[in-house]
Amino acid sequence: MSSFISNFRPLAWLWGQLTSIRLTVFLLLILAVDAVVGTLGLPGLYYTPWFLSPLSLLALNLLACLAHGLPQAIRKAARPFTGEMALTLPERGRFTWPPEVDAPALAAETLRRELGRPRQEVFGETQVLFSIRGRLRPLGPYLVHLGLVLILSGGVIGKFWGVEGRVLLHQGQVVGAFELDTPGKEQPLGFQVRLDRFQVRYYEGGGGTPQEFRSDLTFLQGGKDAAHAVCRVNEPVSFGGYTFYQSSYGAMPRGPILLKVSRGDKSQALELPFRRWAPLPGGEAQIMALRVEGNLQGYGPAVQLAYREGSRHPQVFWLPEKHPKLAEMPGDLRLTVAPLSFHYYSILQVKYDPGVWWVYGGFLLILPGLYLAFLRPFQRWAVVLGKGKEGRWEGRLLGASPRGREDFAARTDRLLTRLKGGGS
Amino acid sequence: MLSLILGGVMLLYLGVGLLFLAAGLWASPPLDRWARGLLGAGLAAHSAALLGRWWESYHLALGHAPLTDFFAKLRLVILQAPLANFYESLVFFAWCLPFLAFLAFRRYLRDYLGTVVALAACLLLAYASLGGVDSRIKPLMPALKSNWLLIHVVTCFLGYAAFTLGFGMALLYLAQEKRPRPSLPPQPQLDRLLYQATIIGFLLLTLGILTGAVWAETAWGRYWSWDPKETWSLITWLIYATLLHARLVQGWQGRRIAWLAVAGFLAVLFTYFGVSFLLPGLHSYLT
Repeated sequence: MSSFISNFRPLAWLWGQLTSIRLTVFLLLILAVDAVVGTLGLPGLYYTPWFLSPLSLLALNLLACLAHGLPQAIRKAARPFTGEMALTLPERGRFTWPPEVDAPALAAETLRRELGRPRQEVFGETQVLFSIRGRLRPLGPYLVHLGLVLILSGGVIGKFWGVEGRVLLHQGQVVGAFELDTPGKEQPLGFQVRLDRFQVRYYEGGGGTPQEFRSDLTFLQGGKDAAHAVCRVNEPVSFGGYTFYQSSYGAMPRGPILLKVSRGDKSQALELPFRRWAPLPGGEAQIMALRVEGNLQGYGPAVQLAYREGSRHPQVFWLPEKHPKLAEMPGDLRLTVAPLSFHYYSILQVKYDPGVWWVYGGFLLILPGLYLAFLRPFQRWAVVLGKGKEGRWEGRLLGASPRGREDFAARTDRLLTRLKGGGS
Repeated sequence: MLSLILGGVMLLYLGVGLLFLAAGLWASPPLDRWARGLLGAGLAAHSAALLGRWWESYHLALGHAPLTDFFAKLRLVILQAPLANFYESLVFFAWCLPFLAFLAFRRYLRDYLGTVVALAACLLLAYASLGGVDSRIKPLMPALKSNWLLIHVVTCFLGYAAFTLGFGMALLYLAQEKRPRPSLPPQPQLDRLLYQATIIGFLLLTLGILTGAVWAETAWGRYWSWDPKETWSLITWLIYATLLHARLVQGWQGRRIAWLAVAGFLAVLFTYFGVSFLLPGLHSYLT
C-alpha cells in the first residue's frame, strides 16, 4: 500500500493532507465559525453544504488518521516489555543496603505497591524486577477518534434511515400514523395507538408550573390491545420500533366560549366559536378566541383572545376566568368569561432512529479513550539488583516516561524513598 | 438565612483574594497560609449553604408529593439538588472554583493564582446575590425531573471551573511575558498548569456534553437539537480540542496556547451567560 502511494505523487500528497493536523485545525475552526453563525440567526445552516462539507471532510480526516496511526498504536501497545529492555532504561537512583536487608523482597514489595506485581528476570549475577504501566495509553487517542467517527455515522444513519415527527392525541382518540417534521407529510406506524387518559397536575402555588403530565397509552395490533404503557416526560415508551416521548400538551374548549361583554353601562352575552372572528355587539370591532390554557401562571383557566378594529393590527391578551381584572383589555371594553369547559390533548414526539446506538457506542469508546489518553501515562520501571562487596546488595532504580513529567517525578520520589527507607 | 451565609462567604472570598494578593506582593508564606485556611473555611460555609438549600428544596418538594418509600425519597433527594435555575447555577459555579483548586491544584494555590480563584468565586457570588437574580426555590418542571440532571450539571460546571482556572493561569502567563516578575510563578510551570487545567476541563466538558445528549434523547427524543446552548458548548469543546491538538501533536507551548485558553474561556462565558440571555432555546428555564 505504502509503496503504491509513494509511486503516485498526487496520491501521496493527498494522503499527507488528509492525515495532517493542519487540516484538522482548519476544519475545526470552520465548523466553530459555522456554529457561531448558526446560533446567531441561521439555524438551518447545519443542514446545508456550508456545514456538512467541512463536517464530512473532518470525518475523512479522522478516518485517515485512524488508518494511518491505529496499526502502529496497536503494535506499540502489544509490544512486550522484557527484562532486557528494562535494563536500557535511564537510571534514577542508586542504593547500597546493609547485609540484613532482603533487597529482592524489598524491591518487589516497593514496585508492587506502586504498580502491581512486578515481573522478574535473572541475567547471571544480576536480578531485574520490572513493571510497566499505561501500556494501552497509545490506543487512547484512537479510541476517542473512533468514537467520534461512530457518532458522526450515527448522525448520518439517523438522518437517512430514521424518521421523526409528532402526533396530537385527544383522549379516546386512536391513530395509526403520525405527522412528519416535513409539513403535511404523514408516516403510517404499522400499528395503532390510543390515548386512554391524559392527566396534568399543577404545583399548588407554583405559578402554573405543571408538576406532571402523563399519557396512558394502549397500542393496538390488528385492532386488538397489544400493550399498555404510561408515557411521561423523561420516560419515553417504545413499541413496534418507534419511541414515543411526552413532549407537550394543550387545551381545547368543548364548545363555544361564553363571554359577557360590557362597554360603558351596556352589557351583553356573546357566544364565541373557537378560532373564528366574531363581531362584537354594536361596532365594527371583532374578537376571536385563540387558545385556552388550564392554569395560566397559577391563576387558573384562561382564554387567549384577539381583538381587532377595522383593519388595524389585532391586539392579543389573556382573560383568566376567575381574575378578569388581570386582563389587559383594549379601551373601555370589559370582558368576563363563563366557566370554561375544556379538555386537554397530548402531544407526543414519535421517532425511529437506528443511529442512536451508533452514537451511544461512540460515547462508550470516547470515555475509556480519554481516560487512557490523559489519565494513564505510559511509564516503565525497573529495579536492578546485584551483590557488591562483602555480599551486600546493591541496586539501581531505572525508569522512563515520554509524557506526564510531574506524575513521573512524584512516583520517582516515592519509589526512591521506599527503596532507601528499607536500608536505614 | 442561607442568603446571609452566602453574603458572608462572598465577603470572605473578597478578603481572601486580597490576602492572597498581599501574599504575592510581599512574598509572604505566612499570609499565604492564612489565606488558604480562610479559603478553606469559606468553602466549608459555602458547602453548608449549598446543602442547606438542597435540604430546603427537598422538603418543599416533599410537601408537593409526600413519600414514604426510602428509594422514592432517595430519588427525590437526587432530583432536588440545588442546580435547577440560574441563581443556583451561579452559586454552584462559585463553589466549584475553590473546590477544584483545592482538589487538583493544592500545591499551587497561593499568591496570584489564589487571588484569581478567590476573586472569581467572589464575583460569581456577588452576581448571584446582588445582580437581581431570582433566588426563590421553584418547583421542578417535568423536563428537569431526571436522574441525569445532577451528573450533567455537576460535570458541566466543574468543567467551566477548570477552564476558569486555566484562564487565570493563561493571564498570569501573558503577564509574565509582558513584564517578567520573580514573584509570579515561572512560565514553564504556568504553561504546565494551564495544560493540566485544560485537560481536566476538557474531560469534564466532554462528560457534560455526553450526559446532556443521553438526557436529551430520553426527554425530547433527540440527542442533539442544535439548541444554542448545545451549539456553544460544542464551539467551546472545539476550541479546547484545538488547543490540545496544537500542544500534543504540533508541540505548541507558551503564548499561543495561553491565547487559545483565553479564547476558550470567552466561549465558556458566552455558553453560560450569553446564550442564557441573548439566545432563547431549550435551556431557557435557566433564566
